[in-house]
Amino acid sequence: MRIPIRIIGTATTFLWLFLIVFFVSAAYSVKDVSFDIGEPQTDITSDNRILFSLPVTIDNRGYYSVGSFNITTEISDNEGFIITLGSTFIPAIERGREITKTHNMTIDVGDLLQSSQDYLFNDTELEIHEIVSMKLAEIIPVQASTNLSMPWGAPLYNSTLGEIEYVAHNQTHTRAIISISFENHAFFDLTGSILIRMYNSTNAFLGEGQTAIEAPQDAHYQGHVELNVPIAGISGNGYFEVYFLTPFFNFGPLVAPYG
Amino acid sequence: MAEAKKDFGKRLREITFKALKATIKGVLFYGTYFVLSTFLTPISEIFPNFQQAIEIFVMIYILFIITEELTSGTIFQCFFNTARALFVIFYLIFLLKSGVIGMTFQGVSLIVDLRLFLVIAMLLSLLGLAKSMLQAINFLNEKAEHTRV
Repeated sequence: MRIPIRIIGTATTFLWLFLIVFFVSAAYSVKDVSFDIGEPQTDITSDNRILFSLPVTIDNRGYYSVGSFNITTEISDNEGFIITLGSTFIPAIERGREITKTHNMTIDVGDLLQSSQDYLFNDTELEIHEIVSMKLAEIIPVQASTNLSMPWGAPLYNSTLGEIEYVAHNQTHTRAIISISFENHAFFDLTGSILIRMYNSTNAFLGEGQTAIEAPQDAHYQGHVELNVPIAGISGNGYFEVYFLTPFFNFGPLVAPYG
Repeated sequence: MAEAKKDFGKRLREITFKALKATIKGVLFYGTYFVLSTFLTPISEIFPNFQQAIEIFVMIYILFIITEELTSGTIFQCFFNTARALFVIFYLIFLLKSGVIGMTFQGVSLIVDLRLFLVIAMLLSLLGLAKSMLQAINFLNEKAEHTRV
């Protein structure tokens, strides 16, 4: 019986040694695995969504391969509404290899406005929940997660309609000129048009006008909309219905009283 | 008188040999730990109590190795062998709990799933426990045979 006991003892010792050396070397080789996140880039998809691209480089100089590498980004607002969710998966990164992959996320501003219209007019912060998971030596699952915040710049920040200027047009109609201004704080250039409909105090429709807008990122926009309105219908007060029509979102009516 | 002196000399030699063997085993074990601990430095930076926990484990384990060696050839060796196997099992459970370790480091929440390691370590510890049981049975068996003869 002594020999089987000795065999069990020796086998156990070797297995322990193998297990400890393997786990220690796997843990140690983590320091030789480096991650680099490049400059984020924004683009527009064919369906007019905002595309965030984040180049992620993983350089595995460790002793073992890294398996099931996954990076997940969840962007939500302060109330927990998930705006976008992006995930990038790399099945395996062999030792000695460097892999660069683009981590993409798309934001539909239209969906964002369903959560709150404030995103159009007020700057705010968005919450980012970042999760990176992988299998060290392809068998030890490790997950790291962190919360960050990202500033959201309103595309129509400080949007204001000016006083109505009436310019005589003909005997029945007059030209109403309404100035409009805003600052584009968004990370994208805003192009499209503004449509304004004018109503008098009895809710009668007087006329509408449209103008094209082109507001680059971080630029102040100043423009005006001209409307042909019947002189007879003009009252001291009333309201405008303002529509913003852009490739990223269609918003309106925004009701703005005048007078 | 000469017989007693010879017996004393034999026992002294035996104890010296056991002590020497225990010292060598302890030093070898500590040497292995010392080499491996240099690789564990990055982990110790992330898990602050990790180094301390490992050091306590190594200290107690070396103590078991020495006592086992000093009591070799007696039934106490089997007791210490069993105690060592049980210590490894319970210390691993105490240290790793469910096998999923979570902590926050510089604002990053880190989760390491060591369940596979825990399962393998448990199985090896159980194998060690089984070995000590077999050793005890063998020891009693051999003793009974000697008594009969």
